[in-house]
Amino acid sequence: MKALGAAADPDTDDLDLAVRLLAATPTHEGRDPALLRRWAEAADAFGAALEPGPCRARIVERDDGLEELLLARYTSRPATVEICTDTVDRAETLIDELGWRSWYPVGSVRAAALAHESAHEHFHHKETRTALKEAIGHSALRLGRFRVLAHVAGAEEIAAHAYARTVCGLGRSPLLLTAALAAVVGAPGREN
Amino acid sequence: MGVVILLVMAAGVAAMLTRKLPTAFALVILAVVIAFVAGAPLTGKNSVVDTVLQEGAPALAATMIAIVLGSWLGKLLEETGVAATLVRKIVEFGGDRPVVVALGVLAVSALVGTVTGSAPAAMLAGLIGIPAMIAVGIPKVTAAGTILMGIAVGIPFELPLWQFFSTALELPVPTVRGFMVKLFPFALVAAVLYVFVESRRRGVEHTWSLKSVQDKPRSPNRRQRLGDAPWYALLTPAVPLILALGFELAIIPSMLAGVLYALVTTTRPREMNKRLLRTLYGGFEVAAPPIALFIAIGILLAAVKLPGAVDALEPLVKAASPQNAVLFVGVFTLLVPLCLYRGPLNVFGLGAGIAGVLISTGIYPAAVVLGMATSYNQVFGVADPTSTQTVWAAQYAGVSPQQVMVRTLPYVWAVALGGLCVTAASYL
Repeated sequence: MKALGAAADPDTDDLDLAVRLLAATPTHEGRDPALLRRWAEAADAFGAALEPGPCRARIVERDDGLEELLLARYTSRPATVEICTDTVDRAETLIDELGWRSWYPVGSVRAAALAHESAHEHFHHKETRTALKEAIGHSALRLGRFRVLAHVAGAEEIAAHAYARTVCGLGRSPLLLTAALAAVVGAPGREN
Repeated sequence: MGVVILLVMAAGVAAMLTRKLPTAFALVILAVVIAFVAGAPLTGKNSVVDTVLQEGAPALAATMIAIVLGSWLGKLLEETGVAATLVRKIVEFGGDRPVVVALGVLAVSALVGTVTGSAPAAMLAGLIGIPAMIAVGIPKVTAAGTILMGIAVGIPFELPLWQFFSTALELPVPTVRGFMVKLFPFALVAAVLYVFVESRRRGVEHTWSLKSVQDKPRSPNRRQRLGDAPWYALLTPAVPLILALGFELAIIPSMLAGVLYALVTTTRPREMNKRLLRTLYGGFEVAAPPIALFIAIGILLAAVKLPGAVDALEPLVKAASPQNAVLFVGVFTLLVPLCLYRGPLNVFGLGAGIAGVLISTGIYPAAVVLGMATSYNQVFGVADPTSTQTVWAAQYAGVSPQQVMVRTLPYVWAVALGGLCVTAASYL
């Protein structure tokens, strides 16, 4: 077992990982970390409170996830969730190697992937997107009492991970597992 | 003799296609060989040394200056955060509607495309624009294509390009400007159609990527430390355009005005000198590849305009060039793919030589050649998988240049058809 980087340190708070995701999202370069933390917190809470629902998208499997550094993908036309079976299998093995089974039960990675992508399906509805913007409360424009709420890139992703964590009853955010997977298969010279 | 020159040209295209030689070097060698084959003496009037090399090399000097100024302005837009601020605002206002974000980035790319061209333009708009589009769910190929189609919308108003066609084809700038204004609507409609049609066909996509929480080095660059550019600085890319198009000011002063506007709206007086010099030197670095190419094109143009070359090529080219308007449009539309992969109709390669032949032999008026060259340039600037902007945009988005070519070619081919129709209707 190769050493995990600091990014996948299990002592790292789930919210710190969400902040890291936001910080790595384009358009947030140079933003105040405290502001990013506030947004991440709001997005996480929003995703965790989303009403659970079935995944109505078509589900297909592919086996090139490790090569593409993907675990799952959602496409809207046609509504399809692609599950990368090789990455899911590697994630399940990694969970055992790291002794994280109490956080991620057997079969939970696939379930989380489906939940994560079905959350993106939720965000296709205007009302859900508007509600997320209201929860975050960032203004793109303010003229007196008139205010245009801003879209915060990356917030939907954090909300989708929080939704998956809640719906699948995971002990930790899927972001921690993502960071651990990236550390073992993603870096140059690593195992893939 | 003419057949030999054509064979030499074909060999030059082969050398460029197979990447045996960089385009600029291949064009210079081609020019020297053509001059010798055409019977030019080594020195003296209409010679290899004095005419082709000495007079040819600086023939496009005005274009080179415009390129340097465009690159300088591009560097200023980058360093002062003007382009990045525009993209950030677009995402904040329209991020939950990916089509709106794509249209916004398209507009930014178009503005950037009026200032500078090639890979620097793609980088200026795409460095933040491509990942921002992907972050809101726009598929990667669509995102890369949006940047390129946007730049192509700006191409008709790219001032260094006006200077290039004016000098290379010996046409007054107002003639070039007049045709570019007619070409612009085709480029605009095709680009907007591209965004709407491709968004509708492909929808949005979201990935659970393993790269999403990887630590990135967070050493804020200069712009990040300075924050967003003020709103009035965001008008910078429009300044040279308004002056050149609206007030018919000459190209170089218009671009200098853009540089000054960017400077005074973003920089404290005590930092102005430093920033001006730093971005100017950075601009030279960016401008080096196109300047090398323009030196080579000037040399090639001088070679194909030699009396011996004109006499040799005239009967051959005349026989192959349709004079009927409908045939003209049909033939040259079908030949569009020949400007891809550094092909013979690429105006920043052998195409410039062919344009020179068509004008110097009197087969077509210079305005017709302008129409052909600019129409082909709209294709080359977007869909050529060997052009630097296409390679950069595709690779940065994480797709292959060929995927971008396949997706964008139908749209830019239609633009070329439109340009050729206008050419035939206006000048033939």
